[in-house]
Amino acid sequence: MKYAVITGASSGIGLAASVELAQKGYAVIGVGRDEARCEQAALQIRAAAPDANIRFLCADLMQQREVARVAHEITEILLQEHEGKLDALINNAGCVRSWYTTTEEGYEQQFALNHLAGFLLTWFLLSQLGRAGGRVLMTGSESHKQFRMRWHDVMFSRGYNPLAAYKQSKLSNILFARGLNDRYQKDGVRAYVVDPGLVCTEIGCKNTGGLVNWIWNMRKKHGAQPEVPAGTYGYLCETEPAPEELYYYRCKPNRYSKQVTRENADRLFALSERLCGVEYPSAIVTEKEKTI
Amino acid sequence: MNVMITGASGGLGRALANECGRRGYNLFLTDIDARGLKSIQRGVERQFNVTVTTAACDLTSDESVDELVRSIDSLGIRFDMLLNVAGVDYEGGFLERSGRDIVRIISLNNEATLRITHALLNRRREGLPFYLLFTSSLASMYPMPLKATYAASKRFLLDLAVALREELRDKRVNVLALCPGGLATTREAMRGIAAQGFWGSATTNPLEVVSRKTIDRLEARGGIYIPGALNRVLTFFGKLLPRRWVAAAIYRRWQKAQEHWKPAELSAEKL
Repeated sequence: MKYAVITGASSGIGLAASVELAQKGYAVIGVGRDEARCEQAALQIRAAAPDANIRFLCADLMQQREVARVAHEITEILLQEHEGKLDALINNAGCVRSWYTTTEEGYEQQFALNHLAGFLLTWFLLSQLGRAGGRVLMTGSESHKQFRMRWHDVMFSRGYNPLAAYKQSKLSNILFARGLNDRYQKDGVRAYVVDPGLVCTEIGCKNTGGLVNWIWNMRKKHGAQPEVPAGTYGYLCETEPAPEELYYYRCKPNRYSKQVTRENADRLFALSERLCGVEYPSAIVTEKEKTI
Repeated sequence: MNVMITGASGGLGRALANECGRRGYNLFLTDIDARGLKSIQRGVERQFNVTVTTAACDLTSDESVDELVRSIDSLGIRFDMLLNVAGVDYEGGFLERSGRDIVRIISLNNEATLRITHALLNRRREGLPFYLLFTSSLASMYPMPLKATYAASKRFLLDLAVALREELRDKRVNVLALCPGGLATTREAMRGIAAQGFWGSATTNPLEVVSRKTIDRLEARGGIYIPGALNRVLTFFGKLLPRRWVAAAIYRRWQKAQEHWKPAELSAEKL
């Protein structure tokens, strides 16, 4: 049995991807913020895949100490049940904020959750991924195109705009995947970004209010159901040999921004390492357990 | 520039800490929440090349503040700026709240602010200007049913700021009263803004803009800073009407908002 970790698994695309992988026989470790929603999601997954090995861990991944805690819990589980191996990590948790808001570290919340949380969780689970030759998937968005990183102010403390901050966080996802491939493809770990297309989820309505809420309510009606992009997650986790491209829409490679260069990816890596207080190794070490 | 921020691990405190870090100021952060302080310290140090010192402190306790002052003196720090942000509100009507909670609003918002302000003014850097911020609120402009004690505590800070500004002008102390409307600092605050519908969003001020302009205003001249054109217009007309009428109108609005939004979820919300 293969093991997958999926963040933001209690609703929307994360939930649909969990169902997909559970049906394919994966043991799924879901991460969600709200305990009641997690329980509800576990029931839904079991209804769709009766023999599913599914459990949920609760964490607010926007906060770095929560990422660290949940990473330790995952490490424990994998050590006990799967020889410390992780086959797939799906960094899917994301948010939209109408206003400039910060985490406990004072980081802008969309950047902190949509990019930094996945960056840090992947760092914690790197050896586990290395042991399994695992895959790292990010949930991207078509909206990353026509946007450049605001290197001078990635936290948008000047001229905050919800959509621009969202686009930047989604461009960061692709740069991060590119950076991972540049570093660890040689160690058998591959990273991908899934472009889900427009999907009818609640992302624009959670704690937003005002204009963002209204626009998203209009827009999501035209979106596909979350089950539609879920197939792409299954495809990218399962296909052997590993798919070669970086960015996939409905199981097919798709075009992505020209901003995704090695230089930008390295720059984002260096910045994110500083903001998370960690350093990615030059090669994956699979022998000993990593400590903070 | 050495800056002390109280309530530094709350939403506005963090935003102001970022703003000061961006400007290259060294920070001394305090809050009752020690873990939150460590987080914002890490965040500011990783983003900006500044020195950040933290000390957890319960500003409502004389002993705790004495200890804070002793540690400042042992480090020999002199300050150029004090940003009074620490404050509290307990949601719910006067009789729905416990008597202790109501008194605590005054203990923190007013007494504690006086305690730390007096201590810091005596530890300002010799011969240089000093910048003093009081975080009041748009609520200070009118009597506010359902937030009666909170609004009165913020009125206290507003009047204090205006008076001290004149009194300390010769000593080169700039005093600013910040009077923001809603600020989207926490999930609960965002939910509250959404529950008030149009007026909630319309009176909400962007946190990053408020932080930047607050420091700009404080350094330039002090006075009263009401962010947002709509909030300034509402305040202006509010002053023309009898206070009782304004209070009655506010009462109706909050009652309606509270139907959509159970303030029971909110306890000790930091503003």
